[in-house]
Amino acid sequence: MKKTLLITVALFIAVVLTAGNEKYYQKMGETLGQYATCKSVDDFQNLANQFNRISKMETAEWLPLYYEAHCYIIMSFIEQDVIKKDGFLDVAETAINKMIELQPNEAEVYALQAFFYTGRLVVDPASRGQKYGPMSGQAIGRSMAIDPTNPRARLMKLQNDLGTAHFFGNDVTPYYAQAEALLASWDKFEPKSQIHPVWGKDQVVGIVNSKK
Amino acid sequence: MKILTILPIFLIAISLYGFGQTKISGAILDESGNPLPGANVYIENTYDGTSTNPSGGFEFVSNERGKQNIIVDFIGFESTSSEIHLAGNPILLSLKLKEKFNQLDAVNISAGTFEAGDKKKSIALTPIDMVTTPSAAGDIYGAIQALPGTTTVGESGKLYVKGGDSRESKTFIDGTLVYAPYSSSPPNQAVRGRFNPFMFSGTMFSTGGYSAEYGQALSGVLALKTNEVPVEDQLNLSIMSVGVGAAGTKTYEKSSVSASLNYYNLKPYMQLAPQNLNWNAEPESVNGEVSYRLKTAKLGLLKLYTSVSRSNMSLAQANQGATDSHENFNLVNDNVFVNTSWIGELNNNWILSTGLSYTNNIDYVTLDTAKYNEYLKGGHAKAMISKKVTDKIKIKFGTELFSKQFENEFLAPNDSIYNGFESNMATAFAETDIYASEKFVTRIGARFEYSNYLKRFNFSPRISTAYKFSKTSQVSLAYGWFFQDAADEYLLYTNKLDFERADHYTLNYQYEKNQRIIRSELFYKGYSNLVKFTDAPFYTAEGYNNKGNGYAYGFDLFFRDNKTIKNGEYWISYSYIDAEKNYLDFPETSAPKYSSKHNFTLVYKHWIPGMRSQIAASYKYASPRVYNNPNSSIFNGEQTMAYQTFDMSWSYLFCQSIIFYASASNLPGFKQHFGYNYSDTPNDEGVYAATPLVPGAKRFFILGCFITLSRKGDINQLDKIN
Repeated sequence: MKKTLLITVALFIAVVLTAGNEKYYQKMGETLGQYATCKSVDDFQNLANQFNRISKMETAEWLPLYYEAHCYIIMSFIEQDVIKKDGFLDVAETAINKMIELQPNEAEVYALQAFFYTGRLVVDPASRGQKYGPMSGQAIGRSMAIDPTNPRARLMKLQNDLGTAHFFGNDVTPYYAQAEALLASWDKFEPKSQIHPVWGKDQVVGIVNSKK
Repeated sequence: MKILTILPIFLIAISLYGFGQTKISGAILDESGNPLPGANVYIENTYDGTSTNPSGGFEFVSNERGKQNIIVDFIGFESTSSEIHLAGNPILLSLKLKEKFNQLDAVNISAGTFEAGDKKKSIALTPIDMVTTPSAAGDIYGAIQALPGTTTVGESGKLYVKGGDSRESKTFIDGTLVYAPYSSSPPNQAVRGRFNPFMFSGTMFSTGGYSAEYGQALSGVLALKTNEVPVEDQLNLSIMSVGVGAAGTKTYEKSSVSASLNYYNLKPYMQLAPQNLNWNAEPESVNGEVSYRLKTAKLGLLKLYTSVSRSNMSLAQANQGATDSHENFNLVNDNVFVNTSWIGELNNNWILSTGLSYTNNIDYVTLDTAKYNEYLKGGHAKAMISKKVTDKIKIKFGTELFSKQFENEFLAPNDSIYNGFESNMATAFAETDIYASEKFVTRIGARFEYSNYLKRFNFSPRISTAYKFSKTSQVSLAYGWFFQDAADEYLLYTNKLDFERADHYTLNYQYEKNQRIIRSELFYKGYSNLVKFTDAPFYTAEGYNNKGNGYAYGFDLFFRDNKTIKNGEYWISYSYIDAEKNYLDFPETSAPKYSSKHNFTLVYKHWIPGMRSQIAASYKYASPRVYNNPNSSIFNGEQTMAYQTFDMSWSYLFCQSIIFYASASNLPGFKQHFGYNYSDTPNDEGVYAATPLVPGAKRFFILGCFITLSRKGDINQLDKIN
């Protein structure tokens, strides 16, 4: 009887745990599905709120924070008002810092951090370039040190390099070749789970198409 | 038995998944009743929630039962939590959110102050202005002189603020005093700042009413903040028409070390370009710097900076009053400067900032056979604790020690004179910023100083306040007492002098919208206790008293527009300054010779993307100043000609790592003449002979190439050149 009770309790705990975990995966899945339909700042705000609610429930998970920050960075790019841009990036920064504390050994988190620094930079390139350009480069370097194949880190680097080459009127052909190579290998990169980041392919397609 | 074990699971399952759903709906508004779309509304510790729609409304269902907390979060607003009881009946909720207090958005005290920093939104002055203003030619003080409240004094190059002499403005780096901020130069030739503007990421320039943290400055304070820990290894090379330099930075996980070496020699340039001065040896200098940065904790940062430099020059200058004979003027300057600071977090959110600076500056001057040496040693130690008591109240307390040793020696073949003094000063200050709301702030502070040399103390209250009418405009007021020791050259002979005093009254209005800013400022400054000479000889204590006084009043206008012209930005600065003093040897109240009534600056910068170039131009005008002609019976009765200059610079980004730079000062060749210097004694005909004061050259050109090699991502450009 004691044994049965123990088994039951164990089983019960397992059920609850998987249920919780399933709920997390289910919520993440549902929310990630909405990315495709988001266009405006309001859409992304709504999405960011959903990730924020998940992150508050799943305090040990870094992915909800990742996507929340990602939404706010995108919002900063869509928004025109300079002060609001920085406001969104402030929220992204808080989420990114929490995420790095939770998962300091993940290539994705630094790739996103690089994206975030680029966001800070474009608010005022003339006076912020000096500071945030190197910071973005450093984050890419960290990400690639962990996983040199991470496609988002490679994308960030490619965007930086291409921007620089365009600005200085340098030869851009090698970067388009890199973009094509990145696109060709994009699907070979296996995300660690269904809910790990996969975004970025469209941007690479965009770069490849912009060549013409 | 089986039923017994299954039962609890079943019961728990019911409680978990429940049967009854509760619909929760309502609206989220701000305090004035406007809808807040995009707010995050959810039940604490559950997945249940939603975002508000464009009209602030929301609706969602929850399977939870019983007492729950509903939370609302939104950017820029304070989160609210309210208890609800879920029992299946629909719940209707309307909640108002309070705007979060945000110091960055809140009103700031702008009276007398220009600030530039990383996240500061004010566009009045940006960090990059320090290096791209053409009239500055890469000099910090030159850049500051393009701002209102300053007067350009061509034969000096130093900072003159609102009718004050240059010694009335002090420079602080990371909180501590720089005793010798300017380079040394022959008499009546413009000096430059000693520091490279690229060292700094933040600037606070105040022309009045500043914080109780700063003392010993009657007119102005320039507080510079050095860069934080660099993130990448770098090698910088500079090759200029006036010298060469190399700097390297090595970064580590939490720290960095930088070192630089610069050598300047104006000989090649001055032999090509026509000079007004007759150089025996053109100015030459060598300077080495080392700096170290260490992150000590989450907030902690240790900074060390040391620079050692030597410069020398020699010129044949006209003998006082004589046109046919020359005397040789030799100058060698040695300067050592050390600056350290540490900032860190203590218990209970107290922030401790400490700083230590040391200056050792020696000028060795030889005039034909006579030697005149000046030794200045200065130290400044400072400790300050500050805390945000609440979001709306900040307090800080600090204490400082200043120590100064000043010595003069005159060595002639058959004569020698030595004078010196040592002065120590202890200070304490306290200040609080109180925000009544985001719109209204008051800063109250006080400062206490005791000098063991003068055996006197002073107490200076300071108060300033600012009120924001709307998102775009604000008004700010500042009042305070300011004290400063008498000039070193008088303290050599006496310590029976009181502190000199200035009272500041500043009223500032600022309107900022859409990358455009208008600032206007009215000010009055009352001087008292200024040093005045008596009939007794200058080398006796009886030669001085504190009976001098004076005033300065006027207004500033500043307009900057970074928006109207695509890729272009410009600012216009005008200051009206009416200053009169009765001090030193003045027989009556008169305008001092460094003060111009009308001061105008126009700066324009244009970025040309196709050429990857920034072209900048600036025009400056300062109205005539007075000077005294001892041959005339009217004191300060002569006037200099107005000062005008038009400067241009061109920066060209050749590639990511190479910048070419060219600048030209006074391109049209406006005539610049700063009056005359007169001999101390009349000649045989009873005439004081005059020597004209003119700049070293009509125009000045700089050509330079700056190379930066760094590691970016996985690319290692350093390895490429190895």
